Amino acid sequence: MTRGVNAIDFWRGVALVTIFINHIPGIFYERLTHKNLSLSDSAELFVFLAGWSLRHAVGPPEDPKPAAQLVFRLYGRALTLYAAHLTIVMLAIAMLAVSARVLDNPLLLEWHNAAAVFFDPVNTHIGLVALTHQLGYFDILPLYVVLMLIAPLIAIIHRNAPNLLLPLSLGVYLAALIVPLSVPSWPTEGQWFFNPLCWQLVFVLGFSMSRERGAGGWVRRNMTAIRWAALPLLVAFTAMSLLQWLPDATKVPEPKLLFIVGKTFVTPLRLIQFVALIAVLSLAYPYIEKTVPAITSFLARLGRNALPVFCVGSLLSLAGQIARFYFGGGLVIDTVLVFFGVTVMAVTAWLSEWRDRVEKPR
Amino acid sequence: MKRGLATTLRAGLLVLATGVAGASGQAPGQPLSQAPSQTPAGQEPIAPIPKRCEMPGAVAADQPVLTNVAKAMRTRKRIVILAIGGTSATALGPIAGGNFAVVERLLESTFKSVDVHIVHRGVSGELAADASRRIRNEVALTGADLVLWQVGTADAMARVDPDTLRVAVDETLGWLKAHEIDVIMVGMRYAKSLAKDPWYQATRKIVADVAARHGVFRINRYSAEETLAGVKRGDDSTSTAVEASEASYNCTAEYLARAIAAGLFLRSRQPGEPQLPRRTP
Repeated sequence: MTRGVNAIDFWRGVALVTIFINHIPGIFYERLTHKNLSLSDSAELFVFLAGWSLRHAVGPPEDPKPAAQLVFRLYGRALTLYAAHLTIVMLAIAMLAVSARVLDNPLLLEWHNAAAVFFDPVNTHIGLVALTHQLGYFDILPLYVVLMLIAPLIAIIHRNAPNLLLPLSLGVYLAALIVPLSVPSWPTEGQWFFNPLCWQLVFVLGFSMSRERGAGGWVRRNMTAIRWAALPLLVAFTAMSLLQWLPDATKVPEPKLLFIVGKTFVTPLRLIQFVALIAVLSLAYPYIEKTVPAITSFLARLGRNALPVFCVGSLLSLAGQIARFYFGGGLVIDTVLVFFGVTVMAVTAWLSEWRDRVEKPR
Repeated sequence: MKRGLATTLRAGLLVLATGVAGASGQAPGQPLSQAPSQTPAGQEPIAPIPKRCEMPGAVAADQPVLTNVAKAMRTRKRIVILAIGGTSATALGPIAGGNFAVVERLLESTFKSVDVHIVHRGVSGELAADASRRIRNEVALTGADLVLWQVGTADAMARVDPDTLRVAVDETLGWLKAHEIDVIMVGMRYAKSLAKDPWYQATRKIVADVAARHGVFRINRYSAEETLAGVKRGDDSTSTAVEASEASYNCTAEYLARAIAAGLFLRSRQPGEPQLPRRTP
């Protein structure tokens, strides 16, 4: 039985379409996505909603799933995500290799961190499997795998001490900012683009807000006040973003990560702006559903089938980049790419639900 | 085949050597490959360029102006170099350590008791506009004295409006200058199919123009790789492309290391101490 249209699936659909567009850098429609008015972008929304969706695996408070069942289910999900990630990464590498051949351009072999795959295949294949080597724009699923691996711990802490979960998560986040701590990449030197030690807080926030006990309960009881407090903050952050009134990283005190705006560590300014954004935007869903029900339903279907749609969307983004490279940018080609991409993502979602419908009666 | 490739690489790297384009406004002529005959106390002569990157008749290029790095070297005995760029994982290639170790090794062997620390923060495919914001954070977080910035290729491949790129590079170089951070730009890559690509060439020109306007030292990799490709036409494009890229990354590191060392050598020289000798034609 397919889930009905709801706000979570709708917003996840929005995030998926936005990620698809933003992963074609330089495309015209990139300037219409909310990242242009915001310190945060669709990555925060995607991870927050992933945390929210953890509630389905954990079950309702009155009928909690046994811990062992929870662990198996979530680790099974982590394995699915891992397999999906490796599949799309291998396809992406093949797409770059074929493009380099067909377009006679070896630079395509070096695009998006793929160079190491061709230059140092022995180490890099180990890195790909160990998730220590990630292609550019194919780096959010490794984060999601890690989050799914720690999800049983998150669920069990929440079950036993709901008021402790958020402070613990915040503690890890602050430690990662203050020390600072990051996860190194290998064999290329550097770090994970999405630092799991910091991004876990976004995931935990999503999960906590979905629950009636702990911080989620408090937020529900005080939602009106929170929205009023969030509104001026959101206006101020939008102005900051539009006018680029960002703190000068060299002039802020130590520890600098507490005061600057950065995506890898999802720094506090970015996080506060995101929380303010969702507090205010969550009010909008009933109006959107009433005003444009067809679009709401369309995006909710994408959101219900997030993993296959995300995977196909990631490959479509790369195909879009290659197409833009070959045909050149411009409004016409960009419009065709977005229309084609979103259509294929919709077909993927429809196929996924059709398959479920066909398989269920057996 | 191997011999042919070696000859080809040498020919290509001749241009790499000559293509180390000084945009600093200094008088041209200090050879990066030439070790000084006399050095100030605590400094060794700059090691000669390895055979594989050495070209007969290599012409000299300018030294970069590295005032702030030299100051850091004198006062802290430690140089922090931030490597950032959008083509591969780092400006000098995708393999861990390898090519950056060349830079570290040469600088530490030339300037005794100076600790050289290179921080890799390249995000492959990252556009200049995004890198522009990240450079500011990374400079602050790492305390970098010198930024090695590979810029332009990712923007050109993504078909970013060249004027958007110009603004991003211009603002970033201005910001770095205002914050007393030295910069060396590592120029765009070459591919035969891009030689007549107007978008790519326009982007190249913009990167060169902005670097020149800011007086920023730029390694002109494009010309080196173009010569390399010109000599070995007819080879299988994909397999030799990887070999050529490896050679290009490695020798770019060799030249970059010498460019930094030469820049520091002059800057750290006290009045009356010897200058880098000019190569006699």
